[in-house]
Amino acid sequence: MTSLLRAELLKLRTTRTFAALVGAALALSLLVVVLTALLTDEFRGNDVRNLFLADFTGLFIMLLGVMGMAGEWRHKTITGTILAAPDRLRLLAAKMLSYAAAGAVLSLIVTLTIMLVGTIILSVRGFDTAAISDLVDVLWRNLLVAGLVGALGVGIGAVVRNQVVAIIAVLVLGFVLEPALFGLAPDVARFGPTQGAPAGIVDANPFGDSDDNTLLAPGVAVLVMFGWIGGFFAAAAARLRGGDLV
Amino acid sequence: MAPVEIRGLSKRFRHVRAVNDLSFDVEAGRVTGFLGPNGAGKSTTLRALLGLVRPTAGTATFGGRRYEELDRPSTQVGAVLEDASFHPGRTARNHLRVLAVTGDHPFERVETVLDTVGLTQAADRRVGGYSMGMRQRLGIAAALLGDPEVLILDEPTNGLDPPGIAWMRGMLREQATRGRAVLVSSHLLAEVAQSVDDVVVIAKGEMRAQGTLAQVLGGDEGLATAVRSQDDERLARALQGAGHTVQRDDDGLLVPGASPEQVGVVAGDAGVYLVGLAPKARSLEQAFMALTADAA
Repeated sequence: MTSLLRAELLKLRTTRTFAALVGAALALSLLVVVLTALLTDEFRGNDVRNLFLADFTGLFIMLLGVMGMAGEWRHKTITGTILAAPDRLRLLAAKMLSYAAAGAVLSLIVTLTIMLVGTIILSVRGFDTAAISDLVDVLWRNLLVAGLVGALGVGIGAVVRNQVVAIIAVLVLGFVLEPALFGLAPDVARFGPTQGAPAGIVDANPFGDSDDNTLLAPGVAVLVMFGWIGGFFAAAAARLRGGDLV
Repeated sequence: MAPVEIRGLSKRFRHVRAVNDLSFDVEAGRVTGFLGPNGAGKSTTLRALLGLVRPTAGTATFGGRRYEELDRPSTQVGAVLEDASFHPGRTARNHLRVLAVTGDHPFERVETVLDTVGLTQAADRRVGGYSMGMRQRLGIAAALLGDPEVLILDEPTNGLDPPGIAWMRGMLREQATRGRAVLVSSHLLAEVAQSVDDVVVIAKGEMRAQGTLAQVLGGDEGLATAVRSQDDERLARALQGAGHTVQRDDDGLLVPGASPEQVGVVAGDAGVYLVGLAPKARSLEQAFMALTADAA
């Protein structure tokens, strides 16, 4: 399993897509934090803490996970991958774990960077900065979300297999369906895999009042995310194990 | 026990019978040509052997074990399939490094196999810019990475230029000389004929012939005889009158299934003077066509 994990991480690092999406995640996260820290005139309540939730690693690692798995079919590399690692379930598990690890590491880098830059700007402007305990709290939540959605992306890619369809599905779900559902049926939306449950983990509703109580409790949200990942793993495993690679 | 054993292998895709009750061995130190027209079931057989498709019946094993059951399979079996693909954005060296990590091989092996296939200079180029021949070489480098005892190559000469084909022939021979069992599928018979020891011919998913190259070259009808005379037309009539089939070509006549002695006797009886008489094995192409005629 260790070899498979190392191989998947090496695969991840050796394409330009990875560098491009990592750069995009860092740039977008920094842009939001810098602009917010520079242009906001008043920070109240959890505003400073929530500023550092602007870690876009989750979105990009999920897309990387989708591309990393569905890309095996797009580039027809799945045959070689399975020849090198014939146990298909171990392969799928290794891929999920490696993208979860990559998501967590990437989130660590991005979150620490935006915390450093944001704190410097807030200090220079004379605002109160977040307490260390708040920063640590945000950090582990960001890392957890990035890790979970990285694994989920792999699962989605393994089930859908068509890379373009899978990416579009993730984007539509994350930016259209789940936000719309938050407006129409928040009790349902909070279980969503791309926005609802992750919002519960970080304890901040991106589509509502920061103090509202529609979100799942963090522990429950984590379990819901494991449920989504487990569901996609089971579906992907069934497709992988039962199917011929012709 | 042969390094590769296929016993009663059958594979059906819904209503299509791709492979039916196929059995053969691949021996160590020999190159076995796996021949058949397009759609004969060659790739399906190889994929069943490699655990990529599940047989409907029968077994395909390496030393008695299925591919999925092999411990560190890359150290035992190296395979290059017809549609072997690589991530276009990854360099050849990185592609091989990923496989090296997966199979617990040292990175030194990557450099060794790159050198073996002549890709060292191009190793840091992205595979998306590779020619077909370079991709084939990279596929072979990947197959050789674990220094396996068995090599399986599906249509390895596809897309290769003449120097590439010559290199491939030499590589196959070298691998067999080193004691490896080599199974190479092809529909390009002329290329296979120069590099294989044994031949397995299939059509419509079924075995049509197997044996040494010489055995299959002879085919069911045995040797043919090439003959030239001072009056080919008269000789042809005499041969046909004696019950032989006669084929005409630019060099004279070809009499399949007849020995030179038989042709000589007919010519003598007909009073035709011969200017040339020689046994001629059927070409592999002819044998192949005869064996697979109903599959065309």
